[in-house]
Amino acid sequence: MAEKQDSFSPDKSSLHGCPLCFSLLSGSTRDTIVFILIIWTLILCIGLSLSFISAKRRYDCLLRMAEELEERYLIPEVMEKPKQAEDQVYWQILKMSERSMLEQVENGRRERKEYREYIEQWIHEIKTPITAIRLLCDNNRSDFTREIMGEVEEITQYTEQSLYYARSENTQNDYLIREIRILDVIHDAVADNKYLLMQNQVVLKLPENDLCVCSDEKWLRFILDQFIVNAVKYRSEKPVIRFLAEDRGEYVTLSVQDNGIGIDAADLPRVFEKGFTGQNGRNVLHSTGLGLYLCRKLCDKLGIGIRIESAGTEPAGTEPAEGESSGTTVTLIFYLNHLIHQVQD
Amino acid sequence: MPEKIMIIEDDPVIRTELETLLRGNGFLPCVVTDFERTVCQVKDEDPHLILLDIKLPGKSGFYLCSEIRSFSDVPVIFVTSSNTDMDELNSIMLGGDAFITKPYNTAILLAKIRSLLKRAWPGRQNEGLSWHGAVLHPEEGTLEYDDRKVELTKNEQKILYYLFTHAGVICSRADIIDYLWDSRLYVDDNALSVNINRIREKLAGIGLTDFIRTKHRQGYLI
Repeated sequence: MAEKQDSFSPDKSSLHGCPLCFSLLSGSTRDTIVFILIIWTLILCIGLSLSFISAKRRYDCLLRMAEELEERYLIPEVMEKPKQAEDQVYWQILKMSERSMLEQVENGRRERKEYREYIEQWIHEIKTPITAIRLLCDNNRSDFTREIMGEVEEITQYTEQSLYYARSENTQNDYLIREIRILDVIHDAVADNKYLLMQNQVVLKLPENDLCVCSDEKWLRFILDQFIVNAVKYRSEKPVIRFLAEDRGEYVTLSVQDNGIGIDAADLPRVFEKGFTGQNGRNVLHSTGLGLYLCRKLCDKLGIGIRIESAGTEPAGTEPAEGESSGTTVTLIFYLNHLIHQVQD
Repeated sequence: MPEKIMIIEDDPVIRTELETLLRGNGFLPCVVTDFERTVCQVKDEDPHLILLDIKLPGKSGFYLCSEIRSFSDVPVIFVTSSNTDMDELNSIMLGGDAFITKPYNTAILLAKIRSLLKRAWPGRQNEGLSWHGAVLHPEEGTLEYDDRKVELTKNEQKILYYLFTHAGVICSRADIIDYLWDSRLYVDDNALSVNINRIREKLAGIGLTDFIRTKHRQGYLI
């Protein structure tokens, strides 16, 4: 007997320990014990499998739910309270962390909102003195005030840019769609940059035709401002800016073409990225990498297509070959049926 | 008889400078300084057009506009620094005729004022400008001298208009170019010389010689 007990002792589990000792002591045969062991193992296996299947089903369901959820951090809100004590602990921890995260998110959101409101407020305040300077200069025109006006234009540009930047973050749509004459917007955008264009002796070519599109006037004007400023910033010796409006039936295009230094082919696909300045940005000072990024963002909101083409940069010092078009062309595409589709959707 | 334009604006610098600007462009400005009785003043002055700020001490520009609309159809231009679409929409709903955001371009503001005045008071015709027997008719784009008329291009007409309104004063080339750009004519220094020469030829054709004199390094003088 002692021998048999020894042979069992190394691998006997605590679970089977007591009943086995009991059977051995009660004088059961070895076969009976083996039989009982097999039955127990079977029952144990079935029990484990069943609990495995049900657990897997439960966790799969939870995972699926989490994946389908748009805001995953809200999972504790949608899941049922688990029945097992262990799961409940985790569930409670999840709930607690959700609550503290929501608080954090809310704080961040509120701070952002307050900051944005402050920026908008500031921009509105700064416009009063800018207006006063403009009027003072206009009423006392001289070469000196013309210089100042050039600088004031730049200040206005940056101010407008920050306003649109603050607004582009906003999800609500803040625009007023009306039928506008392309020519009028071009004239207004030129007027915004009058002294910049005059000081750089830019030759302007305006479209002969008079087309109308449905869009937001002040956003479009802001976009054109960016194009003009870019064309002057990356200009060549004798700068020319050509505006072209074309009616293509399904859509109307408005192109702004310059004969400037152009954009490197490698940089071209990335010019709409935020903060991207590329080769030109390294050569020319004051590149913010914001202008075209904002244009793209506003265009997306207004449902305008935007495309940029360039013949590539000319190596410094070489003249572009005769007839070869250098410079950059930015094209805006206004789909005529776009708004109707949007209403129908 | 110049058109009377009322300025309702609380910033003192902008108010005085707007006054100067409007007077310099041939209008008769009047300003509101006591914002308690703005509406009464509008009734008393009976202006041809009103420039109205939205943010004002006491009552807002929107409120004033609806008050004014209850007794008058005078054209109202909202001039404001806040350019949200809500404000623009509000201004249209309350009967505003135009909405201009600060910092505005004075050329655009003046163009808006002129086009609104023309629409609201179609009877008022600008008579021709005359100087030393030559009469400029801006509406027709012609110049008359000794019963002989000559057609002018848009550029020539605008250049002459500027010289006529500054008759007897030396006009610098930069000022003329500035004015042309404000009139949506994007002319550079060379093109201005070409235009001046062409005008001189045209004037000589109707017997008007030495009308435009060149002041060396200073500009032109009629």
